[in-house]
Amino acid sequence: MASIARSSLLRQVASAPKVAVATKPASQNSIIANAARASAFHTTARRDLLPPLPQKVVGTVNDAAPVPTPSPSHGSYHWTFDRLVAASLIPITVVPFAAGSVHPVLDATLCATILIHSHTGFQNIIVDYVPTYRTPRARKAFIWGLNAATAVVGLALYQYETNDVGLTETIKRIWKA
Amino acid sequence: MAAIRLSGLQKEVLSLYRSCLRECRKKPEATRTHFRSFARTEFENNISIDKRDFGAIEFLLRKGRRQLEMYASPGVKDIRK
Amino acid sequence: MAALRSTTSALLGAAAARPSLRIANAVPAAFRGMAQLADGAEKVTTSSGENANLKTFQIYRWNPDKPTEKPRMQAYTLDLNKTGPMVLDALIRIKNEIDPTLTFRRSCREGICGSCAMNINGTNTLACLCRIPAEDKAELKVYPLPHTYVVKDLVPDLTQFYKQYKSIKPYLQRDTPAPDGKEYRQSKADRKKLDGLYECILCACCSTSCPSYWWNSEEYLGPAILLQSYRWLADSRDEKKLQRQDALNNSMSLYRCHTILNCTRTCPKGLNPGLAIQSIKKEMAF
Repeated sequence: MASIARSSLLRQVASAPKVAVATKPASQNSIIANAARASAFHTTARRDLLPPLPQKVVGTVNDAAPVPTPSPSHGSYHWTFDRLVAASLIPITVVPFAAGSVHPVLDATLCATILIHSHTGFQNIIVDYVPTYRTPRARKAFIWGLNAATAVVGLALYQYETNDVGLTETIKRIWKA
Repeated sequence: MAAIRLSGLQKEVLSLYRSCLRECRKKPEATRTHFRSFARTEFENNISIDKRDFGAIEFLLRKGRRQLEMYASPGVKDIRK
Repeated sequence: MAALRSTTSALLGAAAARPSLRIANAVPAAFRGMAQLADGAEKVTTSSGENANLKTFQIYRWNPDKPTEKPRMQAYTLDLNKTGPMVLDALIRIKNEIDPTLTFRRSCREGICGSCAMNINGTNTLACLCRIPAEDKAELKVYPLPHTYVVKDLVPDLTQFYKQYKSIKPYLQRDTPAPDGKEYRQSKADRKKLDGLYECILCACCSTSCPSYWWNSEEYLGPAILLQSYRWLADSRDEKKLQRQDALNNSMSLYRCHTILNCTRTCPKGLNPGLAIQSIKKEMAF
């Protein structure tokens, strides 16, 4: 929010959907013109799909910002788990090519790790851009959407591994095709 | 009378005004009217702002909250313009 | 505040209808207090007309007394031969001689107070530590710190920043008294761990350059506060390390850092908040 004038249209739509009930076309144009003029004041490129809502300061000026209750499963454990999964992906990806053989167990491990890796990755994106304090309902919807998507992909991968050739073999065939 | 549908921002402005009046009631009886008229004029000064000028209204809301926080402290006994 | 505001508005009222001024322009009589200085500057500029090294400063202006007016960029042209080498010198000269309504924070003019943090030519830095690029003839653009509410002109609202600083309890926490009853001693090696941490002056340059902080300033603490937090975590005399770590152990406070490292790039004191945050994460990992 480089300025008070960050009256971007999208944010207006997001924060006050009922405002523009009887908007006259002329004033609408002036708002668009103002937004365009204000955009010249941003030091960063203006690619905001859904810009942040206004910052809410909780409590008086002299109070400390509230400290959330500790939850290691969302904090340190989550972070450690993330790194371990990401690091373990490297050998799991390299081994099939180095060894030249495609063992189904190895293939299944690779699929599972990639699935978990992308799940936590998307989770991070959602935590970043759909914060609970700002959009609690959208956050819930996104998280459950992600869970559903992960489940569907997991199921699909399982089907693919058990009834078809498997992931590594597919890449091999596409590579050689 | 049909209720006017207010936007989120308009509700925030009204709630700020109400909390101003609420704080006025905690002030000493003799100066209560001073606080009330001060709050009223602060709001009336900006009554002409276009309701779609979100930036300005948000700024004034922030400023108003800051002022309210300051004048609400029990040490402030009177106010003059 | 009411009193303060009325004086500013009186000052601004006097200055309201004034067009953007340059040194070459005539100085209006409205600024009698400043007229002498401005006159002097004008004479000097015109007398050394040929070898004047002119540079234009584009400065962000916004007046809180007229909230419906959009912010604008105002251009000021200065002769660099008559100005100090730093951007802050130029700003002070503009305020003294051209436009007294220009508002910015400044105090020590040597990079130790952190007041004059602003966005100069796209980089958050301290105006007092930033040289005016003299060779470069392009306009110098000065904005307030990005993604902060503007109080006026170049003054950002850092309320949330300070509240967050308060929330990490930036002071020594101990239950046991010192063994000799005098002072808390520390080995040289332990003291060395604080180098690169204690120098932070909380200018907010790094926090306001962090995209994660732009998005989640309510809950994410931001690089400056996390660097300070690590300064107390790394202190051998502090006994509340676990409580401090617990306060950070949630999804928002610390782990919204994605090692973008804008903080390290921009730090005007040459510190490394990114490394400090990574050290906190490593210490908390197992």
